[in-house]
Amino acid sequence: MIEFFTIPGVILIVGAALISLFSEKVRPALFLVFPIIAAVVIVTRPDGYTVTGSLLNYDLVLMQTDTLSDLFGLVFALGALVAGIYAYHMKELGQQISALAYAGGALGVVYAGDLLTLIINWEIMALASTWLIWARRTPETDAAGMRYLIYHILGGGLLFAGILWHSVVEGSITVESIPMEYTPANILMLLGVAVNTAIIPLHTWLSDAYPKATHTGTIFMSIFTTKTAVYVLIRMFAGWELLIFFGAAMAVYGIYYAVICKDMREILSYHIISQVGYMVCAIGIGTDLALNGAAAHAYNNILYKSLMFMAVTAVMYSAGTSKMFHLGGLYKKLPWVLGLYVVGGLSISGIPLFAGFISKGMVIDAAGYGGYESIMLVLLVASVGTWLSVGLKLPYFTWFDKQKYEGELKPIPVNMYIAMGILAFACIFYGVFPNALYTFLPFETGYDPYTVYHVVEITQIALLTFVAFWFLRKKLAPELTTVLDLDWFYRKAAPPLRKVFVTRVDNFYDRVEDAILATAGFLSRKFKNPMLWLNPFTDKKNEASRYSPSMEVVMSFIILSFLVFAIAYLI
Amino acid sequence: MKKIHWIILGTIFIITLVLEFTVLAGYDSHWWNAIPAFYAIFGFVICYALVYSAKFIAKKIVNRDINYYD
Repeated sequence: MIEFFTIPGVILIVGAALISLFSEKVRPALFLVFPIIAAVVIVTRPDGYTVTGSLLNYDLVLMQTDTLSDLFGLVFALGALVAGIYAYHMKELGQQISALAYAGGALGVVYAGDLLTLIINWEIMALASTWLIWARRTPETDAAGMRYLIYHILGGGLLFAGILWHSVVEGSITVESIPMEYTPANILMLLGVAVNTAIIPLHTWLSDAYPKATHTGTIFMSIFTTKTAVYVLIRMFAGWELLIFFGAAMAVYGIYYAVICKDMREILSYHIISQVGYMVCAIGIGTDLALNGAAAHAYNNILYKSLMFMAVTAVMYSAGTSKMFHLGGLYKKLPWVLGLYVVGGLSISGIPLFAGFISKGMVIDAAGYGGYESIMLVLLVASVGTWLSVGLKLPYFTWFDKQKYEGELKPIPVNMYIAMGILAFACIFYGVFPNALYTFLPFETGYDPYTVYHVVEITQIALLTFVAFWFLRKKLAPELTTVLDLDWFYRKAAPPLRKVFVTRVDNFYDRVEDAILATAGFLSRKFKNPMLWLNPFTDKKNEASRYSPSMEVVMSFIILSFLVFAIAYLI
Repeated sequence: MKKIHWIILGTIFIITLVLEFTVLAGYDSHWWNAIPAFYAIFGFVICYALVYSAKFIAKKIVNRDINYYD
């Protein structure tokens, strides 16, 4: 039984329940304790450690460790810890509980040895994360949260259906690599995972919900959902060739929107899709180098993507808006936030000496050496777009350019700086010492990122992209717009569908109810004194003739005899 | 951007070119390695293409009024 509480996911979920018992003052500190315990457990458990249990007739493997799960488990625990530090000033119980349970669900998925444990944790993630959107309590976020939840219930349902089908056909519920066969069970499972991976065209929940979540909620969301799905893809769908093309398409699709969008959080959200595209592409290639690249890129991504989200959230916290249209010229007022953001920006763009360089190159090289040169070029296009959109455009129009923000800036809590500082340090640390990460990757590949070729390649691309950006920067100037995506279809379809299936049905029942009541009213009026219409000679104008006690007695007797007969019949 | 910034960027660029034509002169793992300064041209051209095509897509297809969904 005690083993049950060594499962990292369980530790966080128990933590989520426990923190509700404590006062507002203690809670943020207590929040940090549980990810630390989880991290300690992860580090101290040996490879191959398992915890088993059973549900009905199924033998469950609640926890199973190996290099891959430990890599993701550790970065999730650290992510939860740093995001907890970032959210230290936030006192709202609901958000704290849901964030911790959400992280617990993600860890549960990572250590799940069987598909039932996996799907249960998968659903915990979906439910817990929804509150991080709803907690803003505006009509807009209520609707966005509902769309997010419905999308994830759909995805979870597809995955669960696939798992059930798979267990019937294969007779096994172990989480294992699935051979590339397009059977109904496999397709259902892949679709279910694809929803959480935000594979286009199933990505719209992400770009819709992430920019609308609470300040600190977005940070948690950017860490867990897509990366958990990437982990499951590596485990189960490595080498599925279809993923290469979808991944490459995601990388470019995300970039286009990141270039088009003018809201800081929208830009970064779309950029997640692009970054996850690299990982999906690598998983499709499926070689040792590619899978190492996918895992390393997911790991690094959690570091620098959450750093960037934290920096723009700090600006948003301070200035009250995430629209670049209202910002600009903040470099004198928020220089530290700029510096920390730039570390993230340089990392994500794969600039040498920063974390992205050591993992992105791996993915791109895996494509090049795996026989997919055109895919390699597509990924390089996405690299240019990354540097252009989140490396240059976003900071330029937020911290430089004309100053548009007039109001007072709210001071940024020191805990936010600490969290960002930790991540920035990690980004530089892994960039300078790539082997600190490489030794924890699932495969031995002997890959060295710091070759002359690689450095020259990235430096030339970065320099000339910068020059082109400088010439074209006016073209990217922020404006206030809504940017349409594929969610247009269901968001636009919702009102007419609601009209047909809800409003019309409601109206129909309303009318039927009215008709019944009207009939009853009509009959009761008429039978109050039937003599009025039974006897055509009654004087209708004369009050006295309209009501006669004798009539009432007669009617009462008729009803009474009905009752007597009815009772007699029943007996 | 001050003049000094441009000079720094230019110097780094020249260093990469020198490296490309000395250390990497015999390097040939992809077909595009035969094109001199390929990655520089690639970065510049793709950046232009991205900005203009994104601008086109934004204008023609995806951009709407800020209150579109309200």
